[in-house]
Amino acid sequence: MTKKMVKLIFPQELIKEPVTFRMAKQFDVIPNIRRANVTGTVGELILELEGQDERIEEGIEYLTKLGVKVEPIVGDIIE
Amino acid sequence: MGYVKGLRCRECGRGYPKESLYVCEYCFGPLEVDYDYEGIKEKLNKEVIEYRAKNLWRYRELLPLDGEPTVGLESGFTPLIRAVNLEKALGVKELYIKDDSVNHPTLSFKDRVVAVALSKAKEFGFDTVACASTGNLANSVAAQAAIANLKRYIFIPADLELGKIVGTLIFNPILVAVEGNYDQVNRLCSEIAKRHKWAFVNINIRPYYAEGSKTFGYEIAEQLGWKAPRNIIVPCAGGSLITKIWKGLKELQNLELIDRIDTKIYAAQATGCAPIVTGIKENSDIIRPVKPNTIARSLAIGNPADGIYAFRTVKESGGWAEDVSDDEIVEAMKLLAATQGIFTETAGGVTLGVTKKLIEQGRIPKDESILICITGNGLKTQEAVTEKIGKPIKINPNIASFEENIGRERRM
Repeated sequence: MTKKMVKLIFPQELIKEPVTFRMAKQFDVIPNIRRANVTGTVGELILELEGQDERIEEGIEYLTKLGVKVEPIVGDIIE
Repeated sequence: MGYVKGLRCRECGRGYPKESLYVCEYCFGPLEVDYDYEGIKEKLNKEVIEYRAKNLWRYRELLPLDGEPTVGLESGFTPLIRAVNLEKALGVKELYIKDDSVNHPTLSFKDRVVAVALSKAKEFGFDTVACASTGNLANSVAAQAAIANLKRYIFIPADLELGKIVGTLIFNPILVAVEGNYDQVNRLCSEIAKRHKWAFVNINIRPYYAEGSKTFGYEIAEQLGWKAPRNIIVPCAGGSLITKIWKGLKELQNLELIDRIDTKIYAAQATGCAPIVTGIKENSDIIRPVKPNTIARSLAIGNPADGIYAFRTVKESGGWAEDVSDDEIVEAMKLLAATQGIFTETAGGVTLGVTKKLIEQGRIPKDESILICITGNGLKTQEAVTEKIGKPIKINPNIASFEENIGRERRM
């Protein structure tokens, strides 16, 4: 089992969809929400994902395909 | 002795010991250095600062070391120039340039943050430093780690052209070319940072590293005779510099080293990578990541870690934000060179281009003091302008040819 800190950014059309829950169920990943900020047009969710390494990556891919932006929380590395 | 009390989460305010930590384990917010300002106030005043050597360590009480600095002893205290020719070109009354294109040792403002990061890394007992970068950060980490006798690892994507990394490779780092794209290099570095006891300057040393940027703000105020200008235009990549310049000015005010801050801060980005500017224009405190596509590569961070804090800084100061196209960037680089003799990198073109736009829009009043932050040197990004600055006039080695091609034209 691994843990991964990520930031999810939801476009307006996905705010009303329970995509995080679906991802968690489908890929057997446990999401632990640490911070969230949702406005009328965009949503931001900071969370920890816990699960099998591969399943977490599949879950992230699932979210990305739906239109969620998934960013690791590591600070800016590349310049 | 230093004045660091510990680290504090910028989101939830939870305190942490002064270790190589960078993220709050509860809310995943970034950690920031927490100082004993009462103690600093007793020690630091204008006379003390002015008496010291002209480098960034003249503000050492406000930097996060416990002992004496050991790295970057010549960094900082770069020229602040009254830009008389540029004033005329832009039709403004009082214009200054803070010129970090001549910072020591690698000609960019990154020399400030790396000086602090590596001094702190040595203090923590690290013998190896690292970063993933292809630009100014890589140059500075490689060079200053060489000075400090630290082992140095620089991570880059494997398909990068060699020309881009000469300015790093010359300092003899261990250059790791990762078979993957930027995202994969990023991810790998964060995993390495967890496993190896290395000081990744902008990962596990990040809270200390970022504090170095405050000296850019201190110097602006000191060099203007201990006062802050009315308008400051700052280029934004990750959003840290703009935040720290503002923090620096507020610290000086709290320490009564400057009277008041009547300053508006403006964020400058390239149109091809403007997540912070977009957030400010749309008044959205959620910064949406973008895929960068601009010649201003040193600003091309699509997911700025400090974007939200840059947003808040601009809002709090009453400033604004703007972006410029690649063509406008090149035009501004040429304007700065032709008026003030400063060859800046593309980021400087962004800053000046945005300043020009904001003046034209009336956002920045023409009769107020304006300061432009120039953060890097154009010799590093020559390809951005190579095809856009004309060609030499070829003549034969005789006076007739000279007169034919040049002399006659000039006399007319």
